Amino acid sequence: MKPAPPPWGEALLRLFVSLDTFASVSGDLLEQYRDSIHPARGPRGADKWYRTQVLGFVWRGSRLWAALFAGAYVARSVLDRLSPTTDFYMRSEVSTALTAGILLAAGFWTAWRSGSFAAGAIAGLAITAFAAVLDTGGTVALLAIWHDPGTLAAIGGSGGLQEDFVLPAFLILPGMAIAGVGGLVGAATKRLARGG
Amino acid sequence: MAEVLGTFEQAVLLAILRLADRAYGREVVREIETRLEREVAAGAVHATLERLENKGLVTSKLGSGTPIRAGRPRRYYRLEPAGVSALNDARAAVDELWRGLRWPLKGHA
Repeated sequence: MKPAPPPWGEALLRLFVSLDTFASVSGDLLEQYRDSIHPARGPRGADKWYRTQVLGFVWRGSRLWAALFAGAYVARSVLDRLSPTTDFYMRSEVSTALTAGILLAAGFWTAWRSGSFAAGAIAGLAITAFAAVLDTGGTVALLAIWHDPGTLAAIGGSGGLQEDFVLPAFLILPGMAIAGVGGLVGAATKRLARGG
Repeated sequence: MAEVLGTFEQAVLLAILRLADRAYGREVVREIETRLEREVAAGAVHATLERLENKGLVTSKLGSGTPIRAGRPRRYYRLEPAGVSALNDARAAVDELWRGLRWPLKGHA
């Protein structure tokens, strides 16, 4: 019996590769897995290699959206620092609509490429998780630049440091849901475009 | 305006050129790893191939599968005239930057 990579790896790969190229891309990975990686590294090493390759595809498929998402979040933080206010309603409305729009577009695009309904939600998970890491780095950078008492008071007035560090992680599940909606529309549109 | 190629794009195009009618994803990865003497991510190669195809520098067509690939097809790539031209421009630019200097450089590290 020929060695086989983890089934979930192929399932995940399918979500982040275009429908037209999945067969050839997964065939290339399977060929490399069987002809050189498995004989050289053994089953565990080969599975680890396969996981790393698949996560590379996930990263490449999500990083632009994650950067946009984290960028919108950090931009809002910069605005709150540079132009403090006590009325955050309008800013919150705009930044929430912007980030939700990014997730909807990302879900739509990923599902459109792969033709899979699930791709949107999984993309939402990857994007918000990557963005949480990027955003934490951005917040630390902002704090390194602006940490005078006035700025720290403004941060306290807009939700506090805890919100800056914790909120991105809390956005992962809602992010999956919003990108999942985009994914439903993207996959349905793809099916319609391909004639059912 | 001529296409400006990144280093990895040049590596992929040159691999396709060397492999000729054997230029499919797995072989392109192997050729680049051999030349660069390091492991490269399959995702990086496939993303670059897709980008080069979108730019019109290469074209691709599906071939047959093999048992080791579980019958999945190979996608074979071919350099287009625009790809050859872009490679020539990239080489000319590097040659121009190096003109008048002796290689390897000495004494300034």
